[in-house]
Amino acid sequence: MKHQTSTLPFLSVFLEPPMGMHGQVLAAAKEAEVFQALQRLHMTIFSQSVSPCGKFLAAGNNYGQIAIFSLSAALSSEAKEESKKPVVTFQAHDGPVYSMVSTDRHLLSAGDGEVKAWLWAEMLKKGCKELWCRQPPYRTSLEVPEINALLLVPKENSLILAGGDCQLHTMDLETGTFTRVLRGHTDYIHCLALRERSPEVLSGGEDGAVRLWDLRTAKEVQTIEVYKHEECSRPHNGRWIGCLATDSDWMVCGGGPALTLWHLRSSTPTTVFPMRAPQKHVTFYQDLILSAGQGRCVNQWQLSGELKAQVPGSSPGLLSLSLNQQPAAPECKVLTAAGNSCRVDVFTNLGYRAFSLSF
Amino acid sequence: MGAVTDDEVIRKRLLIDGDGAGDDRRINLLVKSFIKWCNSGSQEEGYSQYQRMLSTLSQCEFSMGKTLLVYDMNLREMENYEKIYKEIECSIAGAHEKIAECKKQILQAKRIRKNRQEYDALAKVIQHHPDRHETLKELEALGKELEHLSHIKESVEDKLELRRKQFHVLLSTIHELQQTLENDEKLSEVEEAQDESMETDTKP
Repeated sequence: MKHQTSTLPFLSVFLEPPMGMHGQVLAAAKEAEVFQALQRLHMTIFSQSVSPCGKFLAAGNNYGQIAIFSLSAALSSEAKEESKKPVVTFQAHDGPVYSMVSTDRHLLSAGDGEVKAWLWAEMLKKGCKELWCRQPPYRTSLEVPEINALLLVPKENSLILAGGDCQLHTMDLETGTFTRVLRGHTDYIHCLALRERSPEVLSGGEDGAVRLWDLRTAKEVQTIEVYKHEECSRPHNGRWIGCLATDSDWMVCGGGPALTLWHLRSSTPTTVFPMRAPQKHVTFYQDLILSAGQGRCVNQWQLSGELKAQVPGSSPGLLSLSLNQQPAAPECKVLTAAGNSCRVDVFTNLGYRAFSLSF
Repeated sequence: MGAVTDDEVIRKRLLIDGDGAGDDRRINLLVKSFIKWCNSGSQEEGYSQYQRMLSTLSQCEFSMGKTLLVYDMNLREMENYEKIYKEIECSIAGAHEKIAECKKQILQAKRIRKNRQEYDALAKVIQHHPDRHETLKELEALGKELEHLSHIKESVEDKLELRRKQFHVLLSTIHELQQTLENDEKLSEVEEAQDESMETDTKP
């Protein structure tokens, strides 16, 4: 790990000048310890991604580092304290790693304005270099907007990026060229979701609208302005859409307005989930909806609007959930949650938190 | 090889018969008493010795028979345990299969529950809207009223047209009559003027 004194400028206040050779060595070690402890205190993990073999989990934080944890080691019966530490940590980006996604051989990570690809097979060795680093075409060369969301579209083997420049960019994974730009949002985009049946992409952002885009015609097909519906709008929180998930016919979205289940064909809100805190990540799982946001717990909802369970995690706020459903590793089938701390909670059974991995 | 089996034998003998009591001692005593009997002089003593030796021998035979029976019993117990073990293994495998089946059923049931809940959610929304039949009936009734009213309007307009035409005819005939009367008056005036001028011509 490279020292990032630029991110913690106040550190120098706490250090005293070292005395003599031995004192210098000790002081340097002390300084490193204190620095690390402070770094971990202020860490936020923004994104997670599971490896294609299902045995490893990558987590990206606000310092631009990516840590790879071995899930199979941590879940095995002879797991020790070291199994809960990363297998390898490296500096991936200069800025925070806001979103990550895995294809069947690569890990794609995105931060401030650029997306990088890493080979899963190479990452476990030290000194791994990125395969490629690309920037979507921005309107001006001075713009470096953050990329908040990445989405893989397996049918056309492309990647969709969306973020601070209010546009959706499509990139073909084979050639690396940026094929389409979808414009329509008036403020930056937070989240993306893929509707598999008719290949459509849903995007939700700060302007409070969920827009559906048809990938074949590259046009906006439907717009749902969530804040205009009185059942779910909460003006005191704002109108931003923080999280989106879709199940082809249904969509659940939340953030400023309350977490609501929508029927897409008729654009009607059917169920409002009674959760006061804004939710930052939501996903469909079997017959439940899992959501997490401000507040320690991972919430499990029935589609009828009832809260089935609330399982507390170890971070004061959660930003991302990841379900490891890779068929190659059924013994590592866990839910992992990470947010405003350096820890990733692992839930082996949705009912309780088994243990936490830590940076 | 011989050393190993010797060790085993010694270990087994120590285990079974550590302190030298029991069969081992009996056999040693038997050998000693046999030698004594061979060396004994008198008939009676010899006979009693002989009897004692026979009884010791039968005791040894008896204990050997017992050991053989116990050995048989152990073998049969082992077989029994093997059988039970196999049965338990089968039932474990059966239970595993049942668990897998049940897991599939759970997934299916969860899917069904999800579909039902989706249905319920949509049904709730639909209930808010009024019934389709009623709205259709209302639409029909309104349509009929519209037709009725348009008929009335048509008939009233027809009547109005008719009256207008009749009034037109009446007024034009009146006008014509007026014209004819005026013409007649003018003619009679002209005739009178002509008569007067003819009279003044004939007078002087």
